[in-house]
Amino acid sequence: MPRNNSSIRQRFKILRNIVFVLIGVILVRLFFIQIIEHNAWVAKADEQHTLLETITPKRGEIYMMDDGEPVVVVLNQTMYQVVIDPTVTKKEDIEKVVNEYVKEYTVADLNEVYNTEGLRYAIIAKNVPRETAEKIAESGIPAIWLKKTNQRVYPEGELASGLLGFVNNEGVGQYGVEGSLNKVLAGKEGLIKTTADINKVALSIGNDNIKIPAEDGENLVLSVDRGLEKGVEEIAAETVASSTATNAAVLIMDPSTGEVITMANVPTYSPGNYTEVTDASVFVNQVTDVPYEPASICKNFAFSAAINEGLMTSETTYFNQGYEIVDDWKIQNAEQRASLYGTITMKDALYWSLNTGSIYALKLLGGDTTTINQTGREKLYDYYHNKFRLGQITGIELVEAEGYIEDPNEGWGRNSTYANMTFGQNLGITMIQTATAFSAVVNGGTYHTPSVVRGVMENGEFKAKSFVEDVNDKILSDETSAMMRDMLVNNRGYKVRGGIDRPGYAIGGKSGTAQVVVNGAYDDTFAQLVGSYIGFVGPTNELPKYVIMVKMWGEGQSIDSGQAMTLFDSLSNYLIDYLKIKPGA
Amino acid sequence: MAIGLIVIYAIGPMRANVLNSTYGTDYDANYFFIGQLRSVGLSLIAFFAAFKWIPYKYIKKWAKPIMIAALALSGLLWILALAGSSLARCELGECRWFNFGIVSFQPAEFLKLALVIYLADFLARKKEEGSIGKMKEFWLPLLVVCGLSLFLVVIAQGDLGTGVALIAIIFGMLLMSGLPMRQYLIMVALVLVVAVGAVATSSHRMERVNAWLATLSGSESSDSTYHVENAMLAIGVGGFFGVGIGNSVQATGYLPESINDSVFAIMGETFGFVGLFLIIAVFAALLFRMLKVAEHTEENEDRLLIIGVFSWTLAQVVVNIMAMTSLVPVTGITLPLLSYGGTSMVFIAFAIGLVLQLSCYTSREVITNEDTSSGRGLRRSRYSSSRSRS
Repeated sequence: MPRNNSSIRQRFKILRNIVFVLIGVILVRLFFIQIIEHNAWVAKADEQHTLLETITPKRGEIYMMDDGEPVVVVLNQTMYQVVIDPTVTKKEDIEKVVNEYVKEYTVADLNEVYNTEGLRYAIIAKNVPRETAEKIAESGIPAIWLKKTNQRVYPEGELASGLLGFVNNEGVGQYGVEGSLNKVLAGKEGLIKTTADINKVALSIGNDNIKIPAEDGENLVLSVDRGLEKGVEEIAAETVASSTATNAAVLIMDPSTGEVITMANVPTYSPGNYTEVTDASVFVNQVTDVPYEPASICKNFAFSAAINEGLMTSETTYFNQGYEIVDDWKIQNAEQRASLYGTITMKDALYWSLNTGSIYALKLLGGDTTTINQTGREKLYDYYHNKFRLGQITGIELVEAEGYIEDPNEGWGRNSTYANMTFGQNLGITMIQTATAFSAVVNGGTYHTPSVVRGVMENGEFKAKSFVEDVNDKILSDETSAMMRDMLVNNRGYKVRGGIDRPGYAIGGKSGTAQVVVNGAYDDTFAQLVGSYIGFVGPTNELPKYVIMVKMWGEGQSIDSGQAMTLFDSLSNYLIDYLKIKPGA
Repeated sequence: MAIGLIVIYAIGPMRANVLNSTYGTDYDANYFFIGQLRSVGLSLIAFFAAFKWIPYKYIKKWAKPIMIAALALSGLLWILALAGSSLARCELGECRWFNFGIVSFQPAEFLKLALVIYLADFLARKKEEGSIGKMKEFWLPLLVVCGLSLFLVVIAQGDLGTGVALIAIIFGMLLMSGLPMRQYLIMVALVLVVAVGAVATSSHRMERVNAWLATLSGSESSDSTYHVENAMLAIGVGGFFGVGIGNSVQATGYLPESINDSVFAIMGETFGFVGLFLIIAVFAALLFRMLKVAEHTEENEDRLLIIGVFSWTLAQVVVNIMAMTSLVPVTGITLPLLSYGGTSMVFIAFAIGLVLQLSCYTSREVITNEDTSSGRGLRRSRYSSSRSRS
C-alpha cells in the first residue's frame, strides 16, 4: 500500500492533533477551574456544605418545697415530631402509621401534604410520646423521621399557675416564674458549625468545625410549699365559690426573711394547656403585677410612722366626730356608731378602722393636731415611699408592677390626697409591696426584700442561691413594731372570744375595704368594693411566723373586707395545722 | 491504573452508601467497593482473555455473528422493555440494562465492542475488494448496521452518551478505511445535521443544552444546571493538590452519579489539579500508544480495530471530562476503567486487551519473521513496557 501510505500517515497526524487539542483544552479548562477560580468555588462549597445549627439547652425544672424537701412541679418531657419526605414516603404507608399510632397527635392533612408539589419535608404529628415514636421507628417505612422536641410538663395541673406561668410554642417562658426567670431557666444555646452531607448530617470532614456546648438552664427551687399552696388554693376557691366574688389572691410569706411560701391566684388555669385559656387575665399574677388600693390596711403604715417618730402611742387620744373636712372634702368614717363619738384612743380607732384616726396620725406627723401640713405630708411620703417602699418595685424574682405614691408637694388637693392615703386610697400598690411593708411592721421593724426562689438543684442536690438583693433595712424600732403587733392582736379580740383564733397563738390582722374609682371619682354607692385582709400568725410571745394577705373581688360585685377576713380566718387556722405551729407558752 | 481506581473505590462507595441508606435503601457499607472489586476482577479476566488467550484471528472470523448477537441483545432488551418485563431494568424511564437478579448487563457496551470488531472486518474486506465508497456494496450495508445500532442505543435506550461513542467509533474507523476525504467530510456534515436536528426536536435534549449554556454564561442555577454546577464545584474545591482521600464532601450526596459518570469530578476534588493532570496524562499516553501501534501495524484490519478502540476510548474520556467541566452538555457517559459500572469496564478492558494483543504482532514485524510461539519472551517484555506507559 505505498500509494496510500502518505494519506494514511496524514490521517494519523489528524487524529494525533485531535487528541492534542482536546487534551489541551481540557487541561486549560481544569487549570482555570482548579487554580484560578479555586477560591470562588471553595466559597460556594462552604455555603453549600456548612451546617450552622444551634444546640438547644435543657430548660431548667422548677421545684417547690414539701415537708422541707424540694419536689419537682415543672419538668421537661421529650416528645417527638413525625416528619416525612412525601416524595419518598408512600401515602398508603404513612396513612397506616397515622391511623394506627398517632391519630390524636396529627397536625397535617395528608391529602394537602401529598398535593403540594416539590414538598420534601412535612411535619405529620407533634407531641408524640416516646413509646409511640419507637413503634413508628420500628415500622421500617422509608424517609420517616422522628424529631425530638421538648415539652414542658406540669404534673400538678393547675397548681400555682399564676405563680409558675407557662412556656409558649417557641419555648419562651410567659408570665410567672417561667416568664420572669426565663433567662435563668432557658440556659444558653450552643452552636454547631460543621460540614454536612446533603441530608444535613454532620460529617467529620473539615478543619473549621466548631462546637460550643449548650449550657443547660438552672433548676429552680421555690420557697413555696407545694402542699400549703394546694390547700390554700382549694380553700380560696371554695370561699370564692360560696361568695359573690369571682377572684381571690392569697400571699403568705415569712416576715423574718421575706420568703414567699404561698402565692395563689384564683381562678387557676392549666399551664400545660395554656392555649385553651379564653380570658388572658388569668395569666396575670394579681399578687405582684396589679397595683390597687388596699384601703384601711394602710392605716398600719400611717400609725407605724407616727409611733416610730415618737409622736403617738396606742393610748394617744383624739376627738372623733365621725368625719373630717379636708380641702373642702368631707371624709367620713365607715363606722358611725354613736358610742365612738368623742375622745377615743388610737388603739380603738384602729380596731374600728376609723379614717379620722389615721388622718389624726398624719396631723401628728406634721406637728399640728388641727390641720394637715407639708411636714406631715413629707413625713408620710418618706415612710410610705422610702421606708415601706410602696409604689416601688420590690425586687422579687417575678414580673412586678410599680404602682404609685403621689408626690407630697405637687398638684392640687395634696392634703385630701394624703388624708386618703392614710387609709389606703389615692395610691396604687401591689399585694407584694403591701405584705412586705406589713412584714416590716410586725417583724421588729426590718424591711426584707421578698423572694420566691430559695435555691437551685444541681445534680439532684439542693444548693441555696439567691436571685434577689436583700435590702435588709431597719425602718422601724422594735418598740414601734411591738406596739403595732399589740394593736393588731387587739383588732381580733372578738375573734378570740368567738373561738376562731385559738389560745396560745398571737394572731393579728387588719381589714381593708376599698372603694373603686368609677368615671374618675370614688363611687360612693359602694356598688363595687374590693375586700382585703392582712394579718400575722405565730405562737404567743414570739415574733410572727407568717404574714397572710388576702384579696377578694369580682367585677361589679361589692366584696367587703368581711369576706376577705373569713378567708383569712380559715387560712390562719389551716396554716397552724398544716405547718404544725406549736402554741406559745 | 488498576491500583488507583481501587483506592478511590475504597472511599467513594462508602460516601454514596451513606447517602443511599438515607433514601431508605439498604446497601452494605462495602457494597459499592465489593461491586467495583468484582468489576475490576472481571475486567482483568476480560483483559487477559483478549490479550493472551483468544487470538484476534478467531475473533475476526466471528465478526458478523458477534455483531448480529449484539444487535439482537439490544433489540431483545427493547422488546422486553416495551413488554414491561422485569428482565429489563429501567432507571428514570430509560431501559438500558438486562436484570438477572444479582447481575445486570448493559448490552450497549457489548454493542460498542461488536461494532469495532465488525467494522474492522467489514472495512478491511471492502478495501481488499476495492469497493470502498461504492453505494451498493459499501454504503448500504454500512448504513444499515450503523443506523440500526444508533437507533437501538439512542432511540430505544435513550442513551445519547453511548450514541456519541458509537459515532466516534464509526468516524474514527472510516477515517482510516481509505475512504476518500470528500465522501468522508460529506458524511460528517450529514451526521452533524442529523444530530443538531435530533437535539432541537427533543425537549429533553434541548433542556440539557440550555442548562449547559446557562452554566457557561454563569446565569441563575436551576435543577437542570445542578449536576454540572456541583461537578465543577467539586473540581474547583480540589484546587492544586486536592482535599485528600476520604475528604470529599461533594461525594456525600451533593453531586449526582458521584461514583459513575461524575467520578472524574470527585477525583478532581480528592486529588486536585495534580491528580487530574496525572490521570489525563495516563489516558493521553494510552491514546498515543494506540495510535503508534496502529501506525506500525501492517495489517489493515488490525489497524482498523485499534483505531476503533482508540476512538471509543477517546470519545468516552473526552466527552465525560468535558461534560464535568461544562465544555459540552451533560450526557450519561462513563469514564473508561474508572467509573463504577461493571459492563462498561469489562468491555473496554477486553478491547484494550485486543489492542495489546495486536501490538505484539507489530513487534514481530519489527523483529522479522519469527514465529509466534518463539516470540513469547519478547512479547512479554513488550507487554510490560506498554503497560507501564498506559
